[in-house]
Amino acid sequence: MGRLVRSYAVGDELTPLVKEMTQEAINLFEGSAGALGPSQFTDEETARETLGTEGTVASGRMSLSFAIELMRRFFGSEVFNHAGTVDLRFLRPVRPGDTITFTGTITGVGREANGSRVSVEIKAENQRGDTTAVGQGSAVVPNAYLPQDE
Amino acid sequence: MVEADTRIVLDWDALEVGETFDSYEYVLTQEMIDTYREGVMDPEASFPTISHKVDVKQYNARYRDAGSVNARCAFYCYNPPMPGKRITVRAWIADKYLRRGKNYIVTEAVSVDEDGRLIDRVITHELKQPTEVGKKWGG
Repeated sequence: MGRLVRSYAVGDELTPLVKEMTQEAINLFEGSAGALGPSQFTDEETARETLGTEGTVASGRMSLSFAIELMRRFFGSEVFNHAGTVDLRFLRPVRPGDTITFTGTITGVGREANGSRVSVEIKAENQRGDTTAVGQGSAVVPNAYLPQDE
Repeated sequence: MVEADTRIVLDWDALEVGETFDSYEYVLTQEMIDTYREGVMDPEASFPTISHKVDVKQYNARYRDAGSVNARCAFYCYNPPMPGKRITVRAWIADKYLRRGKNYIVTEAVSVDEDGRLIDRVITHELKQPTEVGKKWGG
């Protein structure tokens, strides 16, 4: 795959990422690490006992994974997978049946010794317009991935 | 026969910031990676280490508490892990704080593979009163 060379400016928006949360997806996420027992993520009764909710919720780490995908798609895996960060605060539970839209806007571009750090404000909203998570992400884009005049 | 739970009951006040846990090792298999990618609906997802929750695994092995809710999580990508490699995790208590009468514990972990490649760093803020979720957001 060719190198993605592009410029970055404050205000640029990332292509939104939409995810439809299902119990099956939650079970796969939890099971991928060998967590096969009942938990607040996979079992309604455990969720009621532990969280006091009617049903299960998705781990915040699933939203973290989605925010990382949003950023990786924008910066390219060659950049983001080696110099990317995401820092998310979880504001509302995400439940099976929810549709979550992740958006991002560039808030800063600054020079660093090994390229430019591009900072992004990240937001996640459910299908009702409620914010489920907010945070920041960044990537240090090496000079080789920036236009030569920058 | 049910094994006795020998873990320490968490005393939040006594918990020391900087407490380190024993290293934790596991082999990341292709099946784990494939299942993670299916779960997050992203065939190119590069950090399946996220679902292993390695920063709290050793905490949960040492302490018993009322459970927790993830309030905040930061993740630093260094190098995507490779299938079949043994990953070693170092984790510690990075911070603790009280906010609006609720207790939080911050755990941090760094993962390195058997070739010495730095994989990722994760920092998690866990609310130690999980029933707050039900109280605030209901059913």
